Amino acid sequence: MFNLNYTKYKGITLTLSFVTILLGFIITFTKFGGFAHSLDFDGGLRSVVELPIGKSRTDLESFFKRSDIEAVVILLEKEKNIYQMDIGLGSIDKIEGLYKAIPDSEREAGTSSIDKFVITLRREFQLPKEKILSADQVGAVVGGELTSTGITLLLTTLGIILLYLSYRSQFKFALASAIALVHDILFTLAMIGFFQIKPSVPIIAALLTLLGYSINDKIVVFDRIRENSHGKDNLSLSNIINVSISQTLGRTINTSLTTLISVVAILVGGAVELYDFAIVLIFGVVVGTYSSIFIAAPISEIYDNLRRKRKLA
Amino acid sequence: MRSFILLLIPAFILAVSFTILYPNFAERTLNLAVQPDVYNLAPDVQEKLTKEFFDRWQKDYGLTSEWSIKPTAGLPTKEEGVYQIKGRYITSAKINQISQENQGLVWESKNKLEPTFIENLIKGGKSLSIKLGLDLQGGMRVVLKGDFDDYAKKLRDIYSREIADQNAILIDVKKSEEDKKKASARLAEIDSNFELSPMRKLVELEKAKMIIDNRLTSQNLTEPQVRIQKEQDAIEVSLPGVTNSAAILEILQNTETVEYRIEEPSPYALRSRIEESEKRWMDLGKREETDIFKFQEIVKNKLGKKVQDAFIESLEKKYNIPPEYKIFAYWRRGESAKSALLPRSFAVLERKISLSGNDMTNAQPSFNSNSYGWMVSFTLTPNGAEKFFDLTSQNRGRNLSIVWGDKVVSNPVINDPIAGGRAEISGSFSQEEAIRLANVISEGALPIPLSVLEMRFIGPTLGIESIEVGIRAVVIGFFLVMIYMILYYRLGGLIADVSLLANIIILAALLTLMDFTLTLPGFAGVILTVGMAVDANVIIYERIREEIEVGRPLSIAVTQGFENAFWTIMDANLTTLIAGILMIRLGNGPIKGFAITLCWGIVTTLFTSLFLSRMFVELLVNRTGVKHLNLRPFFFGKTVVTHV
Repeated sequence: MFNLNYTKYKGITLTLSFVTILLGFIITFTKFGGFAHSLDFDGGLRSVVELPIGKSRTDLESFFKRSDIEAVVILLEKEKNIYQMDIGLGSIDKIEGLYKAIPDSEREAGTSSIDKFVITLRREFQLPKEKILSADQVGAVVGGELTSTGITLLLTTLGIILLYLSYRSQFKFALASAIALVHDILFTLAMIGFFQIKPSVPIIAALLTLLGYSINDKIVVFDRIRENSHGKDNLSLSNIINVSISQTLGRTINTSLTTLISVVAILVGGAVELYDFAIVLIFGVVVGTYSSIFIAAPISEIYDNLRRKRKLA
Repeated sequence: MRSFILLLIPAFILAVSFTILYPNFAERTLNLAVQPDVYNLAPDVQEKLTKEFFDRWQKDYGLTSEWSIKPTAGLPTKEEGVYQIKGRYITSAKINQISQENQGLVWESKNKLEPTFIENLIKGGKSLSIKLGLDLQGGMRVVLKGDFDDYAKKLRDIYSREIADQNAILIDVKKSEEDKKKASARLAEIDSNFELSPMRKLVELEKAKMIIDNRLTSQNLTEPQVRIQKEQDAIEVSLPGVTNSAAILEILQNTETVEYRIEEPSPYALRSRIEESEKRWMDLGKREETDIFKFQEIVKNKLGKKVQDAFIESLEKKYNIPPEYKIFAYWRRGESAKSALLPRSFAVLERKISLSGNDMTNAQPSFNSNSYGWMVSFTLTPNGAEKFFDLTSQNRGRNLSIVWGDKVVSNPVINDPIAGGRAEISGSFSQEEAIRLANVISEGALPIPLSVLEMRFIGPTLGIESIEVGIRAVVIGFFLVMIYMILYYRLGGLIADVSLLANIIILAALLTLMDFTLTLPGFAGVILTVGMAVDANVIIYERIREEIEVGRPLSIAVTQGFENAFWTIMDANLTTLIAGILMIRLGNGPIKGFAITLCWGIVTTLFTSLFLSRMFVELLVNRTGVKHLNLRPFFFGKTVVTHV
């Protein structure tokens, strides 16, 4: 469809990716001091309140949204209009801000974040003290073990994929796919850090989906390269790669587009809770497709060139 | 002819899928149980309770829903003891809400949603409906408090031998001052182990959390939310779609451990004290006076662990058992292999735990054809293997008891030192018991006993509008994809869409069979599986189109196109499947739940795209005489295909 010389730009694309990932992580850790805090990973504050008649979940949610506070609201008792809300640890500075805006006369003794949160909430919803049924801390859902499990998982997956692809096709393709996969994960993580997207359980799901999608994409491209290079050892790999990429481009565009359609629908549809999930997925699909063409394919070519040179030498 | 017969296979699979999904839409009966105490209340109190109940009923379900209730006023007869509710879409969230709002009246753990005939047929009466996650419909929340006193007691058991030894050194006049100093230092060190700092407690709670996570996932209770409440030394577990708290609590609170303890040395002086007394009663013909009979009665009447423990302690006092030993009951079957596992004799074991469940991993139940019973084999950790070797070489000729919970289940003699990291437990287990024992070993025992602090039902974490908007978005996205496929591949796109729909139906049925829990992100994840399925179809049609454009006749182009695409699709899906299986094996919590959907999605995708799709296309081309298959999009010009 588009007969371009894709491998010609490998210097640019490889550097671009490397620099972007590096910059993303540097900014994440210097400017923001790491990934965003979130309810699922770091826990936060929990308060149970009895709302006055006429007020409902929507009022709570719009208040939190307005104040940019990460919160999960649960209806505990319908009859008494009792709600529980969990506030993410990362939103405590927002609460501090709201608290500071309250005139001195209405503030009460108590300086802990929980007290500040409760006072802010009471003021916002005109709640007498006895309607605050409890206020406490709440622990994380995802424990510290996730990072180590995640890394073991990623390394083992990469190892097995390397083995399987080396067996099914050639080592250079397997290696390039594995590197491109690492690229995709790092790139997306850098973006999650850069935009301070709050890591949550759905975000983990999105990362895993992206992993599967990316593997799929790489294999389709490499299968075509392998097929085209059958009995054409004298042809340069870059030639074969370019032809193969253009042959599979129709498929690549179609698949990316259809996947994007369903994810964009989530974004446009307006389920607020799924925004971050959808954004990470969209980003992942784009990066996954990009890396098949501009990262994985050139790396296999570079590796091939190195091998050929060594043979000649 | 062949392809028509082949058509029966997908037709059959789809029919089965629809059957499995049927209970979701069927009219069902819910038996809402009434607390037995209610019948003992004064009539006016009863009237007040039922009036409140029916007022709520009228408000919530009386006007709009199609649900009927019997009786329509007052209490059901005492013999029946249930309100019978009939209707469609009786979800666990609704049942929980009714139970919660009418706590004085409804007996939550006895509520029963009558299984449909399909559920009786396929799952032996267990539920077959799609469970919705905490975000979509809420669920049950249990807060479990860690009992650290009991934990400390267990710790003391482990160190009891050493404490006794060190204390002996302190009193021993023959020992030098230096030895005594060492002993008291060691005692202080052991003592510091009993001190439970908040940090230490947190570590144990973290362990317990991991174990609960694993237990729930292995019971197919996916998408739970488990978090630690540090201030209360508690673990909070939220579970979606649960209607019966009793069964769940059993899974959560199960503190069964597996450990090895050495029996007292031959000639079993302590045990014979018990045996002599028992024999005396038997000789007098008073079996009901024997301690083992009394203990059996406690077990049969299910008086609970506390009573059992107290009874054993009273025995220890009665027979004057020294503190470094402890009485256990040996549980066996009677003469026939089908009789119940019951305590049948006593054994006196060292209080010290020789090898604990932490030293064992990776247990598997297997059938032992020699003894016609089930056994459990397991691997020892490197540390455990070393301990086990030392233990077996130092205690040759003595009995090594395996204690499961507080039952001795096996009591073999140590013949030779056992090296190498594998061992097995052969008792007279049933299959179920062997599986349970293996699970206890593999998942690890809870490090701390947990008691229920709070239990309640909770609403969904997403607002009803968000849920509706989210689901609508996902469905619209799906239809847009289908339209795109038709616009792009015309007739081919239509076939792809049909196989996509089949894919979703089969996947939904499979996930229902596996008690999968559907969350909103999970729902979106399923749609991404659909993305992979679309991809498979795209690859196939692109290949067929290439063949057509080279000038091959249609039927050959179709066959060739599928052949060309086959390995690409296989490779792509198999690698993802490998990644998915690894996630199931290594991951926990959310990772595992996601991976299960992914893997089954790949299986159904391979079936629908490589088999179903191909059949449809070939049927179309070879049977119905379609001569020309236009796979070019409506909105693109003629594409140029390059050849190497």
